[in-house]
Amino acid sequence: MKSIIKFAIVLTVFGLLVSCDDYLDVNVDPNNPTSVTPDLVLPVGQYYTAQYQQDDRGVSHLGNMIMVNWSQSDGFSWYSDEFKYNVTSSFYSRIFNNTYANTLKQYQILNNLEDPKYDNYRAIARIMKAYHYQQLVDCYGDVPYSEALGRSQEATPKYDDAQEIYEDLIVQLTEAINIIKNASDAEVPGADDAIFNGNMTNWIKFANTLKVRILTRQSDITGRDAYIQAELAAIASEGDGYITTDVGVNPGYIPLNTGKQNPMWNTLGTDEGGTKTNSNNATCATAYVLNFLTTTDDPRIDYLYEKPTTGHLGVPQGLLDYDTPVADQYMPDQVSNIGPGILKAADMDAIIFTLAEHFFNLAELREKNLITTGASSQSLYESGIEASFLYLGLDEAEAEDYYTNAQSLVGWNSSANKIEAIITQKWIATNGLTAEQSWFDYSRTGYPSGLPLPDNYNTTTERPVRLFYPAGEYSSNGDNVPAQPNAFTAKIFWAN
Amino acid sequence: MKKLFLFFVLFVLAGASTLWAQTKVITGTVTSATEGDGAVPGVSVFVKGTTIATSTDVEGSYSLTVPEDAEILVFSFIGMKQQEVNISGRSVVNCVMESDVVGLNEVVVTALGIKREKREITYQTQKVDNSELAAAQPTRAGSALAGKVAGLQINVQDNSVNPTTQIILRGLRSISSDNQALVVIDGVIASLGAFDDLNPNDIADLSILKGATAAALYGSNAANGAIIVSTKKGQAGEKITIGLISSYTAEKVAYMPDFQTEYGTGWEGAYDAVENTNWGPRFDGTLRQIGPTWPDGTYQAVPYAPVKDNLLGFFNTGHNFNNTFYLSGSHETSKFYVSIGDQRATGIVPDDTYKRNTVRVNASKKVGNVELSLNSSFFKDETDVVGGSIGDQDLPLYWFLLNTSANIPLSRYANWQTDLYATPDGYYNAYYQNPYWAVGTNRDNQKSNRVNGNVQASWDPLNWLNVTARIGTNTLWSSGKDWRAAQSYDPDLQPSTAAVSSFVEDTESQSSEIIEDLLVTGTFEFSNFSLKAILGGANYNYIYRYSRIRADNLSIPGFYDISNGTGTPTVEADASQEVNFGFFGDFTLGYGDFVFLNFSGRNDWTSTLAKGNNNYFYPGVGISFVITDAIDALKNNNVLSFAKVTASNSTVYNDLSPYRINETYSKHEAFPYGPVNGFVLSSTTVDANIKKEKLNTTEIGLNVGLLQSRIMLDASYFMTTTTDLITNTTPSVSSGSTAFLTNIGKLQGKGIEVSLGGSIIKARDFIWDLSVNYSSSETIVREIYQGLDEVAVGTWAQYGVYAIVDMPYPQMKANTYVRDPQGRLVVDPATGYPRTNAALSALGRTTPKHIVGLNTSMKFFGIAVSTTIDYRTGHVFYAQGQDAMEFTGRSMASVSANRQDFVIPNSVIQTGENTYVPNTNIPVQNGRQSYWTDTYNDVKENYVIDATAFKIRELAVSYTLPSAILSKTPLQKVSVGFIARNLLTLLPAENAFSDPEFNNSTSNNNTIGVGGYFQMPPTRSFGVNLNIEF
Repeated sequence: MKSIIKFAIVLTVFGLLVSCDDYLDVNVDPNNPTSVTPDLVLPVGQYYTAQYQQDDRGVSHLGNMIMVNWSQSDGFSWYSDEFKYNVTSSFYSRIFNNTYANTLKQYQILNNLEDPKYDNYRAIARIMKAYHYQQLVDCYGDVPYSEALGRSQEATPKYDDAQEIYEDLIVQLTEAINIIKNASDAEVPGADDAIFNGNMTNWIKFANTLKVRILTRQSDITGRDAYIQAELAAIASEGDGYITTDVGVNPGYIPLNTGKQNPMWNTLGTDEGGTKTNSNNATCATAYVLNFLTTTDDPRIDYLYEKPTTGHLGVPQGLLDYDTPVADQYMPDQVSNIGPGILKAADMDAIIFTLAEHFFNLAELREKNLITTGASSQSLYESGIEASFLYLGLDEAEAEDYYTNAQSLVGWNSSANKIEAIITQKWIATNGLTAEQSWFDYSRTGYPSGLPLPDNYNTTTERPVRLFYPAGEYSSNGDNVPAQPNAFTAKIFWAN
Repeated sequence: MKKLFLFFVLFVLAGASTLWAQTKVITGTVTSATEGDGAVPGVSVFVKGTTIATSTDVEGSYSLTVPEDAEILVFSFIGMKQQEVNISGRSVVNCVMESDVVGLNEVVVTALGIKREKREITYQTQKVDNSELAAAQPTRAGSALAGKVAGLQINVQDNSVNPTTQIILRGLRSISSDNQALVVIDGVIASLGAFDDLNPNDIADLSILKGATAAALYGSNAANGAIIVSTKKGQAGEKITIGLISSYTAEKVAYMPDFQTEYGTGWEGAYDAVENTNWGPRFDGTLRQIGPTWPDGTYQAVPYAPVKDNLLGFFNTGHNFNNTFYLSGSHETSKFYVSIGDQRATGIVPDDTYKRNTVRVNASKKVGNVELSLNSSFFKDETDVVGGSIGDQDLPLYWFLLNTSANIPLSRYANWQTDLYATPDGYYNAYYQNPYWAVGTNRDNQKSNRVNGNVQASWDPLNWLNVTARIGTNTLWSSGKDWRAAQSYDPDLQPSTAAVSSFVEDTESQSSEIIEDLLVTGTFEFSNFSLKAILGGANYNYIYRYSRIRADNLSIPGFYDISNGTGTPTVEADASQEVNFGFFGDFTLGYGDFVFLNFSGRNDWTSTLAKGNNNYFYPGVGISFVITDAIDALKNNNVLSFAKVTASNSTVYNDLSPYRINETYSKHEAFPYGPVNGFVLSSTTVDANIKKEKLNTTEIGLNVGLLQSRIMLDASYFMTTTTDLITNTTPSVSSGSTAFLTNIGKLQGKGIEVSLGGSIIKARDFIWDLSVNYSSSETIVREIYQGLDEVAVGTWAQYGVYAIVDMPYPQMKANTYVRDPQGRLVVDPATGYPRTNAALSALGRTTPKHIVGLNTSMKFFGIAVSTTIDYRTGHVFYAQGQDAMEFTGRSMASVSANRQDFVIPNSVIQTGENTYVPNTNIPVQNGRQSYWTDTYNDVKENYVIDATAFKIRELAVSYTLPSAILSKTPLQKVSVGFIARNLLTLLPAENAFSDPEFNNSTSNNNTIGVGGYFQMPPTRSFGVNLNIEF
C-alpha cells in the first residue's frame, strides 16, 4: 500500500510540471493572412472576370464555336465535344463553377463590406455581380442567386427564377449607382481597379450600359415593353449615359511573363516563352464565316483571321477526314487562325464588353421603338459597325465604305429585315471577343440565319440553347438544382 | 565471381577439417518435466552446428558418436522448449524437457515501447521478425510486409527507383483524414518516410498493433493502428559479431499493357506519317514513310507492320546493389549495434538512378539501476529520374511511350542527339516527342537527409518502480532541382510540333518532429492479484518549412540556375508548426495470471483547434482471459495447448492539421502587377465550430494454440464507428466555395482477420511451416450531412472516388451505359451509339474486400525456401492508361470490331417506356475511328475494372553452411541465396493495363483506385544475396 502512495506522489508532482497557457498558441498561419483590404481583393476579381471571358474554353470561346466563328485545324482533336454539341454536365461547366467559386467569391467579399469608406468598392462589386449573373442566367436559366455566395452559412443555396434574377439585377445596378453618387467620403480605387482605374463615373456609365443589355435581351418578351420603357426612362433621367469605349480588364498585363499575359493571348496566342500555343495552332476560321465575310466584302476578314500566304482557308466544323482530297491541306500554317485584330498583343486589354454591342443593343431598342428619342436606329447601327472596325484596327472611312455597301445585312437601307441586320452585324462585331452574346441572340432571334451545323457528328438539327448544370450540383445541391433541362429546346425565358 | 570462388575454397577447407576429426560416444535419456509423463521418445539430438544427429528410442534413450571437440548437444522436440547442453568432458548426458506453450509468454512491444507478455494483452497484435521481413532482401521494409500480416494492406504505388508505399490497416475509417498506420521506431513516433528510410536489415522485428485500442496511448495519432519497429540492439551475452549482407537484384519489366497489333500510324483510316495514333489502315507490311520529308527529298521508311514489343524495348534492366556491413556485441552492462548500408540502383527507365546510405548506431549501457540508451539512424539519398512534366503539355514519360504507334521501332531512337531520325526535328512523331529525348532533356533530382533517433534513460529506483524518459527526433531535410531544356523545331520538318519552353525549379524543405515522453511504471503483486500501472506524459512538436522557386524560359541553354530565368520567377514559401501534449494512464489488473483487465486514458491538448475546443480524452478498456489457465480441466491438454479471448473498446480522435480552422487569403499567383497586388480568399470555407473526428473501436479476439502449439490460430472481429468526420464536403459551388471543412456524418467499419499457421512437418532436418492469413473489412457510409448523400474524394471529368451514403467506402463512380432491365445496352436508333446515363453511377469499392496472404517456409538441412503470396479481390480500379490508349487507337477494344461500323452486340432499341427490341441492324456510325475516340472513350464505365490480383511477391532460397564446416575458419556464418520479388502476377482478363496497386495519388490522400500512365509498367526482380558473419 505504501508503494501506491509513493507512486501517487510521483504522479502528482509530474502533473504539476506542465501547465503553460500560451504553449499551444502557434496556430496562426505565417503564410496567409486572415483579412485583407479591398484594394487587394478587387483586382483579383477583375482578373478572373477577364480570364473566364477570354481564355481557352472561356465564355467567348464557347460562343465562337457555337456561332461557327472558329473551327479546328488538322492534327488536333481539340473540339470534338463542341462539334458534337456534347452538352453534358461537364461541358463548359467551368463557366458555372469558376464564376461562382472564383469570380463572384471575390466580388462578394467587397459586396459584404460594411464600413462606408468602402462604398465605392461595394458599388463596383454589385455592378460586376450583375454582369456575371446575367451571363449565368443566359447560359443556365434559373441559378442560385438570393442565397448564393454564403459559403459556410449556406452550403446548398436555392435556385432562383431566371426572370426574377433579371429584374433584381436592374435593382442592384440602380442601387450601385446610388451608392457611388453618395460615396463622397469613401475611398476611391486607383490602379487596383483594372477596368476603369477608379473612374467612378465610368462605373455608373457601365452600370447603365449593362442595364441596356439586360433590357434588350428581354425585348422579345410579350408584354414586357412597358417595363423596358420605364427602366430606359430611369436610365435617361439618371443622366450619366453610357460607355464610350470598349470595356476591358487590364491589371497591367506583361508580355512573356508566366501567368501575367493577357489571358486570351496566353492560351490562344503565344505562351510566356513566346511559343505559339497548341490552341493557337488548333483554332482557325470556319469555311462558312470566311465565305460570309468575303461575299460581303468585309475588310475585317484580315483582322478577325490570320491570312496565310496561300490565302484565307477555313475548315468546316466537324470535319473528320482532313486529308481528302488533298493531304495536309488544313495544317495549321495553311488555315486562317485567330487574327491580329483579336490577338493584338500579350498586354492588350481583355475585352469584357464591346462598344459595338452596346450600339447594336441601342439600335435594336430604337428599331423596336422602345427608345423613341436620340440617334436613329440606322445611325446606331452604323456606329456599331464603326466601333467594331475601330477596335479591330481599321478606320472610320473603311467602316463607312463597308456599311454604305448596298448589300443585305450590310447596308442599312439594303437590309429588308433591320433586326436581322443588327443581330448579324453584332455576330461579326463580337467574333473572337464576346461571341457568347451572339449565341444568346441566336437563341432569341434565330439570326444570323443560315448558320450551318457541324458535319458528321450530330443527330440534332438544333443548336444548343443553354448549358447543363454541372454534375457537382446534383451531388452537392441535389435538393435544389432543377432537373437537367433539354439543352436544345428549353430556351432561356427571354427567348421563349 | 571472386566472392563465389572464395566461398568455394572455404567450403572445401571446412569439409576437409571435419573429415580428419577424432570421435567419442555420448549416451543418455530424455524425460519430460511434466509429472507422470516420463521418457520422451522421438526427440532429436544433435551436435550444435553439425548434421551429426540421432533421435531417442521408445525408452527415451539415445546414443550418438560425436567429434572429440564437440561442445554442445541440442535436444529438440515439437511442443517442448529446445535445450542446449554442454557436453565437454561428459559421456552421459541426460535431459529434462519442458513443455513449451509458445505464444502466451512471448513478449510483445506495445505502445510507447511498453513490453508486455502476450497473455496480458487485451487486443490483437502480430509480430514480424527480421527473418520474415528481410528474406527477399527488400529495399523498403514497407513493401516487404505485403501478404504477411492479416488486416494489413500494403500498396506499392509505383515502381520507380525510389518507390512510394501506402500502409493501410483494417481498411479506411476516415474520408478526409489520413488513413495510414502510425509508425513508431524504437518507442518514438516517427513517420512513414522514416520507415521507408530504414535499412530493412537493421530491423529486429515489427509489432503490428492493428486497432486503435492498441495504439490509444498515442492519442490522436493512434486512429489507424501502429507499426512498432524495433531495431537491432545487440544481444546480451553475444560476442562481437561482424557481418556483411550483400545482395544484387536485376529488375525487368514484368508485363506491358495489352496492345493491338493490327493497325498503325494514321487518322480516320488514312495513313499519316507523323501521327501518334494508330488509326491508319490495316498493316500490310509495305515500306512506308514515317516522319518528315527532308529538304533533299529523303525520308525515313519502315515496314508498315507491327514491331514486336516496340515499347518494351525502351526499358532497361534495372540493377540494384545493396550492401550492409554490421557490427554488434555486448559486454557485461553494455550492448551495441552499428551498421552501414549502401544501396545503388539504376531503374528500368534509362538514366534513372538512386543511391542511398544508411548508418545506424544503437547502444546502451547500464549504470547502477539506470540504463541509458541511444537508438539513431542517419540517412542520405539521391534520386535522379526523368522529369514529370515533359513537352509542351507537361506530361509524364509513359504518356510519350503510349503515344508511339505500333509500327515504330522505338528502341532505334536512343541516340537522339546524333541519329538524324531520333533528333527532335527528325523524329517521326509530330505530337509527342522521342521518349529518349525526354529522358535527356527533363531531369528531376532529389536529395534528402534524415536523422531519426532517440536517447532514453530508464531508471529502476525501486524494484517495483521504473521511470523512463525519452527524447526523440525525426528530422528530414530535402532539396530538389527539376529542370527542362527548351526545344524548338524547324517549321518545315515539324510544322505541328509545339515548341517546348525551359524551366528550372529548386525546392527545399525541412520537417522536424521532436517528441518527449516520460513514463512511470509501477508493478504490484497482492496474493493472486497483479497491477501494472503506467502514468506518463508526452509532448510533440512539429515544424515544417518549404520553399520553391521556379524560373522559366532560361537564357543560357543547359544552365539550370534560377538566375538564368526570364520574366518573374515563381516563388513559394511555406511554414507550419504544430504542438500537442498529453497525459496518460494505463492500468492492467491481473488475477491468477489468467485474467487481465486493462483501463487506459489519455488527455490531449492540441494547438490546431480553437481554444476551449482543443482538449480531448481518449478512454480505452479491455479484457484478456486465458481459458486454458483459468479452467483446471483444460490445463496441460495435448490438443488444446492454450486459448485466450480478448475484448476491448476505445475512443480516439483524429486531429486537424495546423491553420485549418481559419479561412485565409493567399496571394494570387499572377499578382503582383507592378504595384498592384492581389489576394484571393481560400476556396475552402470552414465551420467555425470544427472539432476533432471521433473513432470508436470495439474488438474481439481469439488466440488458440493446438497440438502443443504446433498450430496457431489468431482471429479477431472489429467494429469501428467514426463520427464527426472532419471532411472537406462539397458544398454547391454557388456558395462561393468548393470545399466546406466541417464535421459530418458517420462511417461504420467492420471486419474480420484470421491467421492460421503452423508446422506441417517438423522433423530434425526438415521443417515446413505454413501460415495463411485472411482479412475482410468493409466501411459503410451511414450518414453524410443533411441534403448531401455523397462527398467527392477525388474527381475527374466523368469519374471519381466518392463516399456515398449506404455504400462501401471508398466508392468508384463513373458514367455508364443505359441498359434495359436485362442488362443489354440501349442504343440510339439514329446513330447506333449507346446511350449513356447523365449521372455517374457507383461501380464498386476501391479497397479489396478480401485479402489473403500465404507464407510458407521450408528448411531442409541448411537450405531454406520461403515464399510470400497474396491475393486481393472484391474491388475495382480506374485504368487511366487504358482510357488514354483508346484515343491513340492502341487498345484492344479499338480493334474489336475491325474498325468498321458494327451493330453493338446484345444491344436494344427502346420502343416504349419499358419496351425494348433487340437491335439487329443499326450499326454505330464512324466505327472507323470516331466512335471509339469520341463515344466509346467517353463512357468511363469501360475503364472501371476488376482490381483482383494474385501475386507471388517473394521467393527466397538460401543455403547456410553448417557451422561445423566453419568451425576451423574465422567465419561464424555463411549463407548464400537466390531471391525473387514480384515473381508472378495474375490479373483478370479485363485488366489489360497494369498493376491495380499503382496509384496516381501518391500523397496521403484517400483517392485510392485511380491508376494510370504516371507509373511505368510493373516489374519483377531476381537476384542473389550473401550473408557472412565473423
